[in-house]
Amino acid sequence: MTFKVKALGMAAAAVAMIAAGAVQANKADGVLNAAFTKELENVDSYFNSSREGVVLQRAIWDGLIYRDPATNEYKGNLATSWEWIDDTTLEFKLREGVTFHNGEPFNADDVVYTVNFVADEANGVKTQRNVNWMKSAEKIDDYTVRIHLKEAFPAAIEFLSGPVSMYPNEYYAKVGPSGMGLEPVGTGPYKVSKVVPGSHFVLEKYENYHDSPKGQPEIAKVDIRTIPDVNTQIAELFSGSLDLIWQTPADQAEKLSTMEQFTVANESTMRIGYLTLDAAGRTGEDNPFTKLKVRQAVAHAIDREALVGALLKGKSKVVSSACFPSQFGCEQDLTSYEYDPEKAKALLAEAGYPDGFSTDFYAYRDRDYAEAISSFLNAVGIDTNFNMLQYSALRELRMKEGTPVSFQTWGSYSINDTSAITSQFFKFGSLDDARDEEVKEWLDIADSATDPEVRKENYSKALKKIADQAYWVPMFSYNTNYVYTKEIDYTPTPDEVLRFTTMSWN
Amino acid sequence: MSDATTNMTPDPMLEAIVGPTPGQMLRKRIFGHQGLMIGVVVLGILVLVAIFAPLLAPHDPYAQSLMARMKPPVFLGGTWEHPLGTDHLGRDYLSRLIYGARVSLLIGLVAATISGVIGTAMGVAAGYFGGKVDAVVTYLINVRLAMPVVLVALAVVAILGGSLQVVIVVLGLLLWDRFAVVMRSSTLQVRGREYVAAAKAVGCSTPRVLMSEIMPNIANNLIVVMTLEMAHAILLEAALSFLGLGVQPPTPSWGLMVSEGKNMMLFEPWMVLIPGAVLFVLVLAINLMGDGLRDVTAPENRS
Repeated sequence: MTFKVKALGMAAAAVAMIAAGAVQANKADGVLNAAFTKELENVDSYFNSSREGVVLQRAIWDGLIYRDPATNEYKGNLATSWEWIDDTTLEFKLREGVTFHNGEPFNADDVVYTVNFVADEANGVKTQRNVNWMKSAEKIDDYTVRIHLKEAFPAAIEFLSGPVSMYPNEYYAKVGPSGMGLEPVGTGPYKVSKVVPGSHFVLEKYENYHDSPKGQPEIAKVDIRTIPDVNTQIAELFSGSLDLIWQTPADQAEKLSTMEQFTVANESTMRIGYLTLDAAGRTGEDNPFTKLKVRQAVAHAIDREALVGALLKGKSKVVSSACFPSQFGCEQDLTSYEYDPEKAKALLAEAGYPDGFSTDFYAYRDRDYAEAISSFLNAVGIDTNFNMLQYSALRELRMKEGTPVSFQTWGSYSINDTSAITSQFFKFGSLDDARDEEVKEWLDIADSATDPEVRKENYSKALKKIADQAYWVPMFSYNTNYVYTKEIDYTPTPDEVLRFTTMSWN
Repeated sequence: MSDATTNMTPDPMLEAIVGPTPGQMLRKRIFGHQGLMIGVVVLGILVLVAIFAPLLAPHDPYAQSLMARMKPPVFLGGTWEHPLGTDHLGRDYLSRLIYGARVSLLIGLVAATISGVIGTAMGVAAGYFGGKVDAVVTYLINVRLAMPVVLVALAVVAILGGSLQVVIVVLGLLLWDRFAVVMRSSTLQVRGREYVAAAKAVGCSTPRVLMSEIMPNIANNLIVVMTLEMAHAILLEAALSFLGLGVQPPTPSWGLMVSEGKNMMLFEPWMVLIPGAVLFVLVLAINLMGDGLRDVTAPENRS
């Protein structure tokens, strides 16, 4: 048997090498072939909540404002300038001479229509958080618009530079979200020439793209196919029918980086992984996680350095606060729990569980990380009954009944502000496992204050209490691997958005 | 003269008439059957491995060491510290394989026993009583055969949640069809025999007839079906675990190991090949044993 295994391994390697030699030059026909791992439900960016959707959104549409991913500086995109009239009113001067892909000119009517459409909850925008801070928009003249906010919302500029993109009013009124999903029309650097829902998207360079801070596209055509299996993606990369894959798992990326025909780039993302513990006792009054010492024991039981070093690798970092370090207000100077299984056992004994206890453990993604984490818990005597559920099923369970302990992740929709994560989960929403009045009060102040210092101070108070109480056990930030052939010149950005506009042929 | 020689050496004529006893013939058939012997020996070794797992495993199968992930097996340049390498969480592959044998054999044995009891009871009842009982049982068998096993098992496990117990019970409740079919036809064959009529004539009760007259005469078929269903259950468990709906981690299961190694198949094929090969050997051994038992116990039915 030993010889057979070795021979098969060598055969596989030989096939890979032969395939690698036959890479087709796609530079010649100007088509970049890329792969998505997950199916995209609807190309209309307001009606999907996936990373793939964000990638297409940035290529097809533009927002009023653009945040330069390198400097984090806000620049005018469809707006040329903006100012706060008061705490809840923003006025924009719009760029003139911009046309949509279908020839419709861009003006104040498009902004007013788009904002009023998405801000109306009845229209069912998928991620309400992205739009529900806006009340309405008002046309001042053809190239001046005011957006009215429901209440003071300092992160407005960040949201306007991210998920809020501008749609053509006449076309959108006619076709609606489903029509927009099949034949998307925007002002962005790429127009869509083909959509096979969920599986195939072809983008073509928009020749009349305005003078945007996104830059002018260079790659003429981008052909994106959905290929769920990583091994198939890699095989296609070897055979030359793909030029770029991303979100490649760390182990495979490490192997690919040793091959000279590929560039493997790694960038951090805003996604963090954490355990949420049932401190509020939603799964039962006598739940062990209602005891502070048990929660601290969990925090001490997990070797976060090892998780980052051996499993996540790349630019991932250990995180200790309930937010991503670069986010505004994300306090770093707070209680951190070092890996100390003996201390964890001692804390469990003090809490009245000298022999540990048994609990349900839930996770929805990254099965290997979840397994590693549950095995750290097993090692200190917390016996885990491992449950792997679909995201939607676990979310529903957490909303209705709560879970004693679950491994969760949150990417903040790449919004560089603590309100996009901590305030999402600690303000008595259905996913709040802590239910701490004091934390909620601080977060309320921080979310609506306009003075950055006041915001910072209150986020800091809330985050410090979350850490002291170990409501969450924040563990690590994620990273994304981008693997592409040497023919492509591209520098990924830390916000996990593939930008075709900044890619070029070598 | 002639008398003396007869006493000293057995008469060849007499030998030919008396012949070897049935027991001797059976033994000869068993030991002469190559497939059966291979199956029994391999299965025996695996059973011993499963029983003595704690003594044989070089490491704790649950102990993870993230710093020693995916170490190659010794024949691909690894060290003797981990003869078959380590998995994606740095757990010793050999130890997990050894403990995984327990899970596979346990599931095979218990699931086949549950379905054996159900299927035999139904099949014997249908074959012996005939009439309405037969019609009902035949109908139930048809209903059961109309349901794809993997699909039903997937659905039930998805609803109830995967665990060793759930998988065993679900497979046990699903795999009785072949028992019922075979037992029914075997019972039909023997129920008209003279010894059954004789037992009835001397006033034996129906349970007594079933247990003492029918069962011993169809038991050989039962054993053959049992082995086949054991192999079937083991493969189904591996399939369910591969799909993430069977035995849950950290319990070592060969199907789960294949599933966990799948992502690295392109670069580290041994992670899939080793548990796959062991699974193949176990199922092959059980099937060889089943085929062999059929040949040995009912040589006249050999096709």
